[in-house]
Amino acid sequence: MQRLEKLELIWQSLPLLGEGVLVTMTLTISLLGVGLLLGIPVALGQAYGPRPVRLLMSSYERFFRAMPILVLLIVCFYGLGFWGIYVPAFGTAVVVFGLHSSAYQSQIFRGAIQAIKEGQLLAARALGMSRLQAIRYIVLPQALRLSLPGWSNEYSGVLKDTSFVFAIGVTELTRQGWQIAMRTREIFLVFITVAVIYLILTYLGTWLLERIERRLSVPGLAGQRREEHGRVI
Amino acid sequence: MRSRVRWFVAVGLLALVVGMIGGVPQAQTQAFKVCSDIAWPPFEWVDARGQFVGFDLDVMRIVALLKGYRIDIQNLAFDSIIPAVVAGQCDIGASGFTITEERKRVVDFSDPYWESNQAVLVHAASGLNIITAFKAGQIIGAQRGTTGADWVEQNVIKQGINVTLRLYETYPLAEQDLINRRIHAVVEDEPAAKVAVKTSRGALKIAGMINTEELFGFLVRKGDPNRLLPRINDGMKEMKRKGIWNNLIEAYFGVDVNLDRVAQCYADLKGWLDRNQPEAYAENLAACMSGQTYRRP
Amino acid sequence: MSSEYKVSSEASFVVRVADLHKRYGSEEVLKGVSFAVRQGEALAIIGPSGTGKSTLLRCINRLTEPDRGRIWLENTEITNAKTDINKIRQQIGFVFQDFNLFAHLTALDNVRLGLTKVKKLSLKEATERAMIELRRVGLAEQAQKYPAQLSGGQQQRVSIARALAMDPKLMLFDEPTSALDPELIGEVLHVMQDLADEGMTMIVVTHEMGFARSVCDEVIFMEKGVIVEQGPPEQIFTQPKQPRTQQFLSKISELYGRTSS
Ligand SMILES: Nc1ncnc2c1ncn2[C@@H]1O[C@H](COP(=O)(O)OP(=O)(O)OP(=O)(O)O)[C@@H](O)[C@H]1O
Ligand SMILES: [Mg+2]
Repeated sequence: MQRLEKLELIWQSLPLLGEGVLVTMTLTISLLGVGLLLGIPVALGQAYGPRPVRLLMSSYERFFRAMPILVLLIVCFYGLGFWGIYVPAFGTAVVVFGLHSSAYQSQIFRGAIQAIKEGQLLAARALGMSRLQAIRYIVLPQALRLSLPGWSNEYSGVLKDTSFVFAIGVTELTRQGWQIAMRTREIFLVFITVAVIYLILTYLGTWLLERIERRLSVPGLAGQRREEHGRVI
Repeated sequence: MRSRVRWFVAVGLLALVVGMIGGVPQAQTQAFKVCSDIAWPPFEWVDARGQFVGFDLDVMRIVALLKGYRIDIQNLAFDSIIPAVVAGQCDIGASGFTITEERKRVVDFSDPYWESNQAVLVHAASGLNIITAFKAGQIIGAQRGTTGADWVEQNVIKQGINVTLRLYETYPLAEQDLINRRIHAVVEDEPAAKVAVKTSRGALKIAGMINTEELFGFLVRKGDPNRLLPRINDGMKEMKRKGIWNNLIEAYFGVDVNLDRVAQCYADLKGWLDRNQPEAYAENLAACMSGQTYRRP
Repeated sequence: MSSEYKVSSEASFVVRVADLHKRYGSEEVLKGVSFAVRQGEALAIIGPSGTGKSTLLRCINRLTEPDRGRIWLENTEITNAKTDINKIRQQIGFVFQDFNLFAHLTALDNVRLGLTKVKKLSLKEATERAMIELRRVGLAEQAQKYPAQLSGGQQQRVSIARALAMDPKLMLFDEPTSALDPELIGEVLHVMQDLADEGMTMIVVTHEMGFARSVCDEVIFMEKGVIVEQGPPEQIFTQPKQPRTQQFLSKISELYGRTSS
């Protein structure tokens, strides 16, 4: 009887938890997108830019890696409020998390660029490609492949970080769970459910990224890179 | 009620620093933003249908009706509300805020609308009373940074009684440990304790009350730039005059009330508010919440 | 030797190098190198390790910037700052010791990329051309394989096809067989020999003395950043004028045990 009631409680909570999942996933995917769009130029700037650009990109990256995400969120959201600029909380979250993630993603990406043999770029230039073409057709496709395992980590990391956004009033999965728990006082039951949902989301995301990795995999790159290192080049 | 000091100070200071760098808030639109951490029944919580319900929120809605302005309710982490009000992201904080001197330095409060005391929760089968609950060697739970925790510190431990104070991030966790009989008593706000007794299905009971006489108030930005406090204070008086106030108290704090009914009741009755009839709303809400017949708009 | 004669502006020279200097820090790697290569000529550059042979080759398509000296490809001065170096490089094929095939592309795409992205050919034209070159190096069947799936010899042949597809006026080979297992060297040398027979102008840095002797028209012996001796292979290999050349050749034949292929 008790047990049945509890099952029912979870069942009835699913729509609200689902809303939370939607917010969490929308935020996670958008922030990863923003982070990627910003992270790639930052990494390229660090790897190939002239000294001032390298310096600028490094300080950008170091700044955002040093900032706790909560501090950034609060400074941006409330800071803008002082200037009379009222930004939507969700948009702020996407931008702030995106900036933060771009710093981390740029590191993943820079590592991947550094793993690419210098000869690859030389061969491209020797064909008459411009620097930009060489980066576009040789460096990017290889580095993106090499980055995928790192992105799996970044994904599961930011997925959990998104629970901070309630500080600026965005109701995501953890907060939905909290609201249900406070109404029903079934804290453990609700949060075990929430934990299972996070597990599923993490698993699904990494599974998807692994699939992409496999789909894009090229013999001698990515997964097999280490074993065949000496042979490829 | 909830006054987690560390957090509050940190976030508040940050907000003030940012504020000093920043400028002056812009002119407001007609709608005022009411910010509340909507997870603390019966003052404010999210019901099973996802609706924002509770005493604080109904007071805010009805005052707005009576005084002729609109409100948007924004769900926001408790610790963020005062910074948000200071920053101008929220116009009113309505989340069971205890009026304290510390907070008064950064925000202005309305007239008190609630007096809260601390309840001593024990397990129903333990046979403990308000005296024996604090016997030496026992473990007392409370939420970190709350009046309840402070009271145990000052009036039990500092008096030389050798109890262990176990602090929790939130009081429902303390209640859970009490149900599992890993601690002997919990000291927390009276309304929250009453909710705990109801949801525990008889596992918990209130052994007695401690008078701390905390007062709750609504809060606005320092200096009340939107002239909201007179309207709120006046609106509350009007609610009392018209009997709305008592009906709301009945609806949310009454003896026969089942808070789970709120999803149905609020959905059925909020039309009264849309029709600008707060008296009918409050009267029927009180009836509905205690399981009596009520009239839909 | 008469560098004056070599650098004179004669239309039949594909490449001319005059007084080339390059230093890395305090080490002067090239100390005034001059020579020229005629249309259809295959030039071998031999010499001990660290002598500046690779540096010289890279200066010719400015993968390395020379400090001083001038280089012409036909009548265009490569070393002129106004020259569009990407245009020049399209006309000079470069084959690396380590192949440097694009690791993420199939053999076909390796050959095709320069055609579509640099020469802006349509995919169809590029594919046709790429397949011709792969067939020429005997790898049409391996077109869909990735570099990691090919042997070293096959990779080096793909990289030759990649360079040839661009229709170069000049091919530069930097020790193209040095990274290969001995049994794979022959297939690459074979492709290069065909190329020389077809009249491709080429400069080959190599330790394969047999190849230099039987295939090339001219041999340069370099040491410590200068050209020590230059002449037709028969002369260099049978009656070297300089004692240093003699020493080097005898050491090489000890090391490699063969001077004919
Ligand atoms: N990028 C560079 N930076 C500094 N020194 C360099 C660089 N490239 C080459 N060198 C130095 O220049 C000298 C000539 O190098 P180079 O590679 O041209 O010789 P090589 O004749 O091709 O030798 P090998 O037969 O070993 O390939 C060497 O001492 C080398 O260390
Ligand atoms: Mg070399």
